[in-house]
Amino acid sequence: MNQPILSVKDLTYVYMKSTPLEHQALLGVNMEITEGEIVAIIGHTGCGKSTLIQHFNGIHFPQTGHVMINGMDLTKPKLDVKSLRRQVGLVFQNPEDQLFEKLVGDDIAYGPFKMKLPLEEVRERVKWAMEMVGLPFDEMKDRATFALSGGQKRKVALAGVLALRPKILVLDEPTAGLDPKSRRELLEKIKKLNQEEGITVIFVSHNMEEVAYLADRIYVMAGGKEVCHGTPEEIFTNPEIILQHRIGTPETVRTLHRLHEEGYAVNTGRFRVEDASTEIRKLLPE
Amino acid sequence: MSSPFELTRNITIGQYLVRNSIIHKLDPRFKLASFAILLVGIAICDSYIGNLIGLFLSIYLFHLASIPVSYGVSGLKPAIPFMIIIGLMQLFLYKEMSPDNVIYWQLGFLEVSSASIKIVIISVLRFMQIIFLSSILTLSTSTTEITRGLERLLSPLQKVKFPVHAFSLIITIAIRFVPTFAMEMEKMMKAQASRGAEFGTGAWWQIIKRTTEMFPLIIPLFNVALARGEDLILAMEARCYTPGSSRTVYTQYKANGNDYVALLVSVGIVFVLVFIPYPW
Repeated sequence: MNQPILSVKDLTYVYMKSTPLEHQALLGVNMEITEGEIVAIIGHTGCGKSTLIQHFNGIHFPQTGHVMINGMDLTKPKLDVKSLRRQVGLVFQNPEDQLFEKLVGDDIAYGPFKMKLPLEEVRERVKWAMEMVGLPFDEMKDRATFALSGGQKRKVALAGVLALRPKILVLDEPTAGLDPKSRRELLEKIKKLNQEEGITVIFVSHNMEEVAYLADRIYVMAGGKEVCHGTPEEIFTNPEIILQHRIGTPETVRTLHRLHEEGYAVNTGRFRVEDASTEIRKLLPE
Repeated sequence: MSSPFELTRNITIGQYLVRNSIIHKLDPRFKLASFAILLVGIAICDSYIGNLIGLFLSIYLFHLASIPVSYGVSGLKPAIPFMIIIGLMQLFLYKEMSPDNVIYWQLGFLEVSSASIKIVIISVLRFMQIIFLSSILTLSTSTTEITRGLERLLSPLQKVKFPVHAFSLIITIAIRFVPTFAMEMEKMMKAQASRGAEFGTGAWWQIIKRTTEMFPLIIPLFNVALARGEDLILAMEARCYTPGSSRTVYTQYKANGNDYVALLVSVGIVFVLVFIPYPW
C-alpha cells in the first residue's frame, strides 16, 4: 500500500468560534487518499464538505486533529502555506465569479506570475493549462473574460488553477449550473488530467452520474463526519447506505436494480453507462 | 488557530441575533427614537465622567439584550484604525483659544495642548459608545423592523414631500448588505489566496502596490454587487413592488408600557449626560 498523499485524522472545525454565531461544521473527520486517485465526497448540503476541502488548501487550519498533505503537516505553525497552495489547487464553487483580469490569458497567468516564474515559463504554463481544459491558446488568450459564456468562464477559472501545476486538484461542485454539454466536456477534461498528468483529484458533487463516471472511491459525509467510504460499486450496490443517508443513485443503478427486482439476471454493480447498456442488451432477444 | 478569512467575525453592526430580551421586544419606533435621542446626548456630552457613564450604560445594554458583552466589544476591532487616525488628527490639529489651555508641544501648525488631549480621549469614548449602541440596535432589531419603524417615525415628513419610504428602504438595503458583502469578500479572498494572491504584504508607504493587490478582490466584488443589485430589482418587481405608490402594512405597532419607559429612560440619560455640570 502506498503512503497516502493526503490524510485527515479526527479533524474538527467550528466557524465563528466564541461568538454567538458559532457553528460546528466538522465533528471528527477521517480520510486517506492515495496518489493518482479520483475521490468523490458526497453528502447533503451543510454536512461540512466545503469546510473539509478548504482545509486541503490552507484556507482553514485544523482546530483539532491532523491534516497531512504530501508530507506537510498542516498543524505545524511554521507551515509554508505558499508551497502548500502550489501543490494543492482548489477550485471553488462558481469559480467564474472570481475572474478579474480583462483578458483570458492574463487571468490564467495570475497564479504563475505570483510564483515569480520567468515570462517564458508563465507563457508555457498558460498554454498548457488552456489546452488541458480545451481552450485553444492562440484563439482564446486575448479574448475578454467578461464576454465569455458561463461554461467557458469556468474553464478559464479551472485553467487558472491548473497553471499552478498542482499535484492534487480539489474541486467544489465543478459542474453545478453548467449545461449538459459543458458538463460532459468538463468531466472529460478532469478525467484526462488524472489519467495523463497523474493529478490526484478530489471533488465534491451532488450529481451521482458524475460521481459514477469519475470516482475511483467515494466518501459519504453526514452531519460533519464521514460515515462510510468505498468504491462506487460498494456504495451504489448497498441499499442500506443509500437509504440511510438518502444518497441519490445514478439512473443506471436505479434501472439495474429495478430489473433485478423484476427477476432479470443483471449485475447491479455494472453501473457505468457502457457496462449497464451491455447488461441490458444481454436481456434482449437477438 | 482561527482562520484568516473570517471577515464577518468582528462585524457586529448589521447582524441580527434572535433572542427573547426586553430590548428585542421593544417597539421598533420607540427603539429607534430612543437610539436617536441617546446619540444626540452622546454627541453633546463633553465631560469625562459623562462619557464614562454613557460607556457603562451602553455596555449594560448588551446585558439587557442578552447578547454576550465580549461579542459586542469585538465589534470595535474593525474600527480601531479609524479611531487611531481620527485621534491623531485631533491630537495635532485641534486648536482651542481659551485662557486655561496649556500648550505642551508645538511645531509649525501642529500643536499638542491640554484641550487637544482631552478631545482625543472624549472622542474615543464617544466612538465606542456609538458603535456599541448601533450594534445593539441592529443585533436586537431585524431589518424589516428597522425599516418599518423608521418609515413610521419619519412619516410626518411626507407632508413636505420627503420620500420617506424610499429613504428608509435605502437605509435598510445598505445595512442589510454589510454582512452579505463581507461574506462575498471572504469568498473572493479565499479563492484568490488559493491562486497565490497575497493581501497587505506591501509596506504602508507602497500605496500603489497595496492598491493593486486589492484588484483581484475589488473587481469581482463590484461584479457581484451589481449582479446582486439586479437580482434584488427582479425579486422586488416579481413581488409587484412599485416605487412611489402608497403601501399598506400588515404589522401594526401598538406601544405598551415598556416602550414609554424606554423612551423616558433615554431622555433621562441624556439629561444626566448633558445637563449635570461634572467637575471633569
